Amino acid sequence: MQPSQQMIDNETGRYLPVIYPEELPYWEGARKRQLVLQCCKGCGKAWYPIGPACPRCFSMDFEWKQMSGRGKIHNYVIYHKAWTPWFQKRVPYAVVQVELEEGPRLTTNLLDCPVGEVKIGMPVEVAYEDIPGDITLVQFRRAAR
Amino acid sequence: MTLAAQTLRDRTAVCGVGLMIGEFPDRTPLSLAVEAYHRALDDAGMKRKDIDGIMTLSMGPDYDRFLEAAGTDVRYANQGWHHGRFIAPMVQHAAMVVANGLAKTVAIIHGRRRRAFGQVSEHEMWRQGLGPHGESPAYGALSPVLGAALAAQRYFHMYGGGNEDLAPIAVAFRKHARLNPHAVRHAPMSIEDYLKSRWIVEPLRLFDCCQNNDNAACMIITSAERARDCAKPPVHISGMQGVHAGPQFHNLTLPGLGVAQQRVYKYTPTKEDLYSYQMAGITQKDVDALITYDAFSPLVLFGLERFGFCGPGEAREFVKNGRIELGGELPINTSGGLLSEGHAVGWNLHIEAVRQLRHECGERQVKDAKIIQYASFLGESVIYRR
Repeated sequence: MQPSQQMIDNETGRYLPVIYPEELPYWEGARKRQLVLQCCKGCGKAWYPIGPACPRCFSMDFEWKQMSGRGKIHNYVIYHKAWTPWFQKRVPYAVVQVELEEGPRLTTNLLDCPVGEVKIGMPVEVAYEDIPGDITLVQFRRAAR
Repeated sequence: MTLAAQTLRDRTAVCGVGLMIGEFPDRTPLSLAVEAYHRALDDAGMKRKDIDGIMTLSMGPDYDRFLEAAGTDVRYANQGWHHGRFIAPMVQHAAMVVANGLAKTVAIIHGRRRRAFGQVSEHEMWRQGLGPHGESPAYGALSPVLGAALAAQRYFHMYGGGNEDLAPIAVAFRKHARLNPHAVRHAPMSIEDYLKSRWIVEPLRLFDCCQNNDNAACMIITSAERARDCAKPPVHISGMQGVHAGPQFHNLTLPGLGVAQQRVYKYTPTKEDLYSYQMAGITQKDVDALITYDAFSPLVLFGLERFGFCGPGEAREFVKNGRIELGGELPINTSGGLLSEGHAVGWNLHIEAVRQLRHECGERQVKDAKIIQYASFLGESVIYRR
């Protein structure tokens, strides 16, 4: 993969993530259906957002590790306003903050779940969504029981 | 608080203000800023030559272009980052510059068009490396309202209640705006009207979101001594404290709510969290009216709890039954605030504090107002005293 500063897909009008060079392992992981985050070699904890040092012990010595992919809905909001035409067919949609078993919280969507059924505390598992530009977004869906 | 900080009490004062809010489709941000400067100079009874310090904000006219247009040379110039939370720090910076003698009189000037060349409406979303506030366009996590909606959701989850608890805030500020001839939103609003307004990002409705518009503002700050010779009564800067920032103070939330990577706990301020009271030599009980940042209504709940006007989770009851309305126990945002007077980034909030303390607010005047506090959910505060 290559870093990308393309903010919008010209064909569909969908917003794309900006991909910084230091984030490539995360995006390459997602492409392979793996959720990988930085883990501190000092204290062993995973952190997010992606950044140059462990926010706990400030060590810059880290490795990318695969997460369990399990977590729970820690917070959510429902978008009713469509900010661009691309969203018009998609509202209402949920934006959720998922707390991973490993601790960090990610902001994503919840796939295949009607917005009325989203609840704080709901167990979820990682899912992947291929979007234009050969990019895969890390997403979540309700955990299979 | 340090001993040195304590020496700032009442050393400086606001001596002139100018404000414009509304739609100015044929004007540039520079033109609005220059007019606000004019108004503030007139208000203070000052001339350009009396100003030797200037501060401006990004997203308005650049400081150099402004000074060129205003034909003013200064010995202290600074340009800050355009952000509601950085308004109080600019006032504080100006006060510290004056108190320490780096300049005698500082004008803080701002002018902005909501839609103008060079001012992209999406700017907020893309700036600072794509969403410092967790805004994540690829996930449809768009616009500043996201942060307030996330925080409100967690607040209701932790303490109970829901969107309807925000209605008294929007309604109170609209009542205030109706007494303010310069306010942008004037239509009467009942609780029912509020509850009928459309969802924007649930749990927030249209009336939980501020009114964005063109705006310009100027505040002139000088020494307390010099301010006594100005046209209007001096409004002293009695106490101040800074924006608290870091992972526990994320974006538009209160510590402890668990937004993004915040820890989850019930936040109660310590004495150390409230040092502006110590600097001013007052307590919450001495505050005649509270002015707080209200780009989104939940921020009012957070401001109240951040400054200990009530305990954790109690603000949603505190704001009910007219307590925060004019004539109530603690009037809040007497101009109508960002929600109803209009969005002048936060300058209109500080300017309202000044006008109240000069007793020039007419129908919306807080009787005998002596102390008004600007205090916001991120911990920044300016205590103004007549």
